[in-house]
This record gives sequence, C-alpha cells and structure tokens, in this order.
Amino acid sequence: MNTNKNEKFNATTERREGSCTVYLSGELDLSVAPDFRLVMEPLVGDSEIDLVINLKDLKYIDSTGIGILLSILKARHGMNARFVVEEVPSQIQRLFDMTGIAKFFAASRNSQ
Amino acid sequence: MNAEVQKVVITLPANADFVDIVRLNLYGIASKMGFSYEDIEDMKVAVSEACNNSVLYAYGQEGGMVEVTFEIGRDQLSIKVKDDGESFDRMDRTENTVTLHDKDLHDVEIGGLGFYLMEALMDDVAVDNEAGRGTQVVMTKRLMRSEEKV
Repeated sequence: MNTNKNEKFNATTERREGSCTVYLSGELDLSVAPDFRLVMEPLVGDSEIDLVINLKDLKYIDSTGIGILLSILKARHGMNARFVVEEVPSQIQRLFDMTGIAKFFAASRNSQ
Repeated sequence: MNAEVQKVVITLPANADFVDIVRLNLYGIASKMGFSYEDIEDMKVAVSEACNNSVLYAYGQEGGMVEVTFEIGRDQLSIKVKDDGESFDRMDRTENTVTLHDKDLHDVEIGGLGFYLMEALMDDVAVDNEAGRGTQVVMTKRLMRSEEKV
C-alpha cells in the first residue's frame, strides 16, 4: 500500500547539456496544478533545450493535468521546440488514449 | 430499488485540497466491495472530475461544501457528487463531450475533457442541474465478479 507521503505530488528537474527532464511523482490533480505550472513555466519557453517530462513515478493524473500537458504541447509546437513525454504508466497511457492526447505525444516524439 | 443498498456520506469543503480525500474513501469502499484495480482507478478519475467541477465552477471563490454519497449495492457502486452552487450550463453534453481524436493540435482547446472522462470510465452517468439548486452528478459502476463469466 502506498503511504500518503508517496502520493504527494513532486516535480524534480534535471538539466543536462541541451536538454531538461522533469520527473513527476505522486498525484497530479487540480490542487497541485499551480505548482506544476510554476515549475514548467520557465522551461516551456526555452527553445534551446529538448524538454522531457518523465511520468514513471506518476500515480494519478486528472483532466487538469492533461490540460497542462496539452498547453505545453501547443506552446512547444508553436516554437518548433522539442517536447517528449516518456515512461508513461499504463493506467495513465489509457487516459491519454481515451482523450486523444496520445497521438500528439506520438507526433512530437517522431519530429526529432 | 435494492433494499440492501448501504450509504456512506461524506461532506467536504469545495476546495481542491480535499478531492484526494474523496479518492481515498472511494478506494476503501470499492476495494472492500471487490472491484478490480483497473475499475477502481477508473472510478477514481471519474469521481475526481465530478468533484473538480464542483470546486471550479459551482462555487468559484466563494467556498461551500460538496456532498459525496457512496451507495453500496450488491452488484454496483453509485457515487453521487452534489453541490449547492450556482447553476451553470457547463454540463451541456453536446458542448462538452469532446475528445481530441479528430482534431489537429492547432484546433485543440483545453478543457471539456473532464466530463468526457466521466462518461467513458463509468457505466452510467446522470447529471442533474437546476437553476438555484446546485448540481448533482450520479455515476454508477457495475461490479463484475470473476466467477460470473459470460
């Protein structure tokens, strides 16, 4: 069983030469959406880096979280900058497939 | 109706910080009833979306309460999410039941996915909103027992 502490949302940013990976963990929902936006804001506008979001340890996402990912997709697409969502857990991938956002992630992965 | 239905009612502030409490309660009730991991995950998303709607639209900045009722039947779980907020027409199905499948990224608008997810993840969803009387969403998931193979 997960303890409550493990469910708490966290975003850790790892910068490397030419890229930046944000590791998400816990539950990304309406209550932490402002925190997530704050973390992403300075990164999204940087067209010099490849932006990667890693969802390996993300336990839960709601439509608010999916909406933020979508707005990042749109912004990066508009700047012609790379954006990748990687290691999506199956439960979350299912929601991506259902809502139709999955095809945009696939497209952004291919346009290297 | 089924006489064996038992009810669990929780009342919470219409605040985003309390939606995870609804998920925890749902997890407890649904796992006790014998729902599969996948079904519980589906219900978690659907119920959270209903609560999000109450938090976001029904009360705005005003504050208020959301009442969540779990109706535990023999073969199904119904979850009712009720608020007393102002009436709103965001639940208009033709307007909001949208996905991104047939859209280009260019045309995509953010929002409207919550209600779609509720309908896609539950067996039955009913929305009742009357002017001045708040909104009530009732969603039902049927319990599939593994020994009841078709």
